[in-house]
Amino acid sequence: MKILICIKQVPDMESKFKINGEGNWYDRTDLAWRMNEYDEYAVEQAVRLKEQVGDADLTVLCIGPDQVKETMKKALAMGCDRGVQIGDNDAHKREPIEIAAMIAGFAKDKNFDIIFTGMQSQDRGSAQVGVMVAEMLAIPAVTTIVGFSFDNGAVKVKRELEGGSKALVSTTTPVLLTCQLGLNTPRYPTLPNIMKAKKKELLTLAPDTGGVCASQETAAFYFPERKGSGIVLEGDVSDLADKLIQLLKEKTGVLA
Amino acid sequence: MEFTREIYWNVGHGFTTLAPMYGLLLVALTVLVLGCLKRIKVYRLGQPLDRTDQRGLRMRNLLESVLLQTKVFRVPGAGTAHALFFWSFFILMIGTSLIVAQADFTDLFFGVKFLKGTFYKLFSVVLDLAGLIAILMLGGLLVRRYLIRPEGLLTKSDDAVMHGLLLAILVTGFLIEGARMAVTELNTPLALWSPVGLVTAKMLTSLGEGGLRTLHAGLWWLHLLLALAFIAIIPYTKFRHILTSSANAYLADLGPTGKLTTINLEDETTEKFGASEVTDLRWKDIFDADACTLCKRCQDRCPAYTTGKPLSPMQVINQIGEISFTNPAANLIDTVGREAIWACTTCRACQDICPASIEHVSKIIEMRRNLVLMEGEFPGEEVMTAMEQTEVNGNPLGMGYAARGDWAEALGITALAEDAEVEVLYFVGCYASFDKRNIAVAKSFVKLCQAAGVKVGILGKEEKCCGEPMRKMGNEYLYQTLAMEMIETIKGYGVKKIVTTCPHCFNTLTKDYRDFDFAIEVVPHVVFLDELITTGRLRIKAEPFSCTYHDSCYLGRHNNLYEAPRNLIRTAGGNLTEMAQNRDQAFCCSAGGGRIMAEENLGERINIKRVRMAVDTGADQLLANCPFCLTMFEDGVKGADVEAQLRPKDLAEILAERLAEQPQSV
Repeated sequence: MKILICIKQVPDMESKFKINGEGNWYDRTDLAWRMNEYDEYAVEQAVRLKEQVGDADLTVLCIGPDQVKETMKKALAMGCDRGVQIGDNDAHKREPIEIAAMIAGFAKDKNFDIIFTGMQSQDRGSAQVGVMVAEMLAIPAVTTIVGFSFDNGAVKVKRELEGGSKALVSTTTPVLLTCQLGLNTPRYPTLPNIMKAKKKELLTLAPDTGGVCASQETAAFYFPERKGSGIVLEGDVSDLADKLIQLLKEKTGVLA
Repeated sequence: MEFTREIYWNVGHGFTTLAPMYGLLLVALTVLVLGCLKRIKVYRLGQPLDRTDQRGLRMRNLLESVLLQTKVFRVPGAGTAHALFFWSFFILMIGTSLIVAQADFTDLFFGVKFLKGTFYKLFSVVLDLAGLIAILMLGGLLVRRYLIRPEGLLTKSDDAVMHGLLLAILVTGFLIEGARMAVTELNTPLALWSPVGLVTAKMLTSLGEGGLRTLHAGLWWLHLLLALAFIAIIPYTKFRHILTSSANAYLADLGPTGKLTTINLEDETTEKFGASEVTDLRWKDIFDADACTLCKRCQDRCPAYTTGKPLSPMQVINQIGEISFTNPAANLIDTVGREAIWACTTCRACQDICPASIEHVSKIIEMRRNLVLMEGEFPGEEVMTAMEQTEVNGNPLGMGYAARGDWAEALGITALAEDAEVEVLYFVGCYASFDKRNIAVAKSFVKLCQAAGVKVGILGKEEKCCGEPMRKMGNEYLYQTLAMEMIETIKGYGVKKIVTTCPHCFNTLTKDYRDFDFAIEVVPHVVFLDELITTGRLRIKAEPFSCTYHDSCYLGRHNNLYEAPRNLIRTAGGNLTEMAQNRDQAFCCSAGGGRIMAEENLGERINIKRVRMAVDTGADQLLANCPFCLTMFEDGVKGADVEAQLRPKDLAEILAERLAEQPQSV
């Protein structure tokens, strides 16, 4: 069977974020990059499926500048068979529909049985790309899966819904699944697999949205305003009490 | 009268004595050699390793640890008894050899007798007393093993055979002597030179000469057979340690202490990393099992074992031996057990005290390497997360890498990227860069340097973890990735000297990095500060305080730095009360061996146990020299509920609190 896994390289969320010059996205300097968390679940599930069925070919796809290859190597080391990079230095500016169009454009004649994606990206968080790819390819999509089983073409997944309720969905291939936290624990690549990954095929394609154009514009991009943030008092207990009284006097009316 | 005695008295010196005697000796030696060869075949299952360099030093180690019993002697009690027994038995062996040398060689061929006169008197009394001491020591050890039964001491059938045989050899020796003296020496001045023999002789006189002669001849042959049996069974019982532990003193790892072997990751033909079978280990690792005497000194000092975790260094060594000799294809990791493998803090207490020069830590690391590099396994998910965070941000805490130098912003310390003209590079380490408690240590250290007029630079956001916790956890790949990057960065700035506040960074930079063409001088902060003070660059005003001091494993046992930190405490006016386990016997804080990244879920908490030892000194402050220790102690004082009694602090903080007015810089 043929499986496609779509991944995205995102900044580590512990990074020091700054707003870029145009004021419409974050600045890319001083950031550490990694695989989008939800995409790691997608890769892991695909590799487990291959381990189950034996005969499967795993293609990992990533859109972005050359630095995304580093993240793709991790997916290859985890067990994907080949990589496809859509080399696009403007990927971070793209709308979900453009990204979806690029993926669908690549996948349309490849007959993938299952496409795994993350349920959303950690940076843009639109949660739209997966479902739009399925729509464009005219295949079913099941989102936010936290459980997966495969048996001879029959796919059974568990979805996580609002309020903690769960749903069990059965479907058949081809299908697109977007993966949620709780689906699995991604593996740590073994050294022989890291070595092998260095020699795996990694194609780079030119970006092609197939005529789909942007239709949104980011009007502003900003950190939330600091409104009445909390204060943590530190020091000796006796001083703390005095400080607290002072604060209550200055900032509130409770002692008035 | 001539002070001497007739050798082969009563048994005769003819063919009927010598032929069976030397015949049996030949048999015993053959059995011995065959037994050794059989075991050597098993040692050879291991991977090659050269331990024949620095032969002079190796020979000295061998002679010291065998003849002087230096390592055995380190633990009073059983160690003292063993040493005294060894020396006595060794003297008896020399004595017997002298007899053989005279009777069957110098006298036989050249008519030369040297066992006479004053020398014979001395010979007689020394051997007599040696026999007595040997019996007393052996008796003491017997009582210890079979009546006192110290906790954790493994007693096997070997021990009964060994104790019984040695005792029988010694007792028959005295009986033979007594029988002979009862007939030939009673009431002569010579008898006084064999006091124990004299007592035995007096007890036997009632047998009459005929009875004594029969008894003597019978016991003589029995004694001979026992002695030859002893020689023959050496390789088949724990007696083998006479050969193997001695050889191990020669074969010991000559350091640098605690440096691990570097895997060649460039070699693409390597398909297996670490050890999952004994055949993946080196031959010395299998040999170590044969050198082990089950003395349990390692186990008694192991922070994991003594807090109820499923790791005994002694067991690990013997499990390796057991499967090497019975089923070398068995899975080593399953045999030892994952929980045992992960529990090690690499504190080196086991290896340091081992009288048989056994290398425990590297074996555990090899098994960890296999688990991590071949299976992607870790002791827990939190460790895997720490590894991933280190890959992304260069620190196991998962903090954004770009903020690494933020702590120094207000101190006027800049990164080398901005100004590389510095006297020393301060390699800060992950904890002092990101952990609030340890940032205070970094700031104190910088304050001291600035007071002494030392221009310090840091790498700031270019610094990453040195890789030590990852390496000790088995992740050689991540370690090497980090090491290569750090070496390139540091060398790129032409740094002359590096100072660390983390002993793990220190040990790694100064030893492990040497495998990658890195030769820059690295100094731990306690030594650096001690030098600043002794050269008069830094002035500290002594203000009395009470404290105890924790020797971190990586400054202590790994680098023998015990005095510099104590000098600093004295300089600061500290009244130091040592914990019972100090210096090379110090008890680990729990965070070494990459355990800083792992939860401690089994048994009692090591850090709390150590904090309680500190509380027992009655001191107000627990001084440390390591960010991992400090972190564990801050946690430990909370866990032991002694926050109000005991403050953990780094030595740099104690000094920074006592800065005196500094001399004008020249």
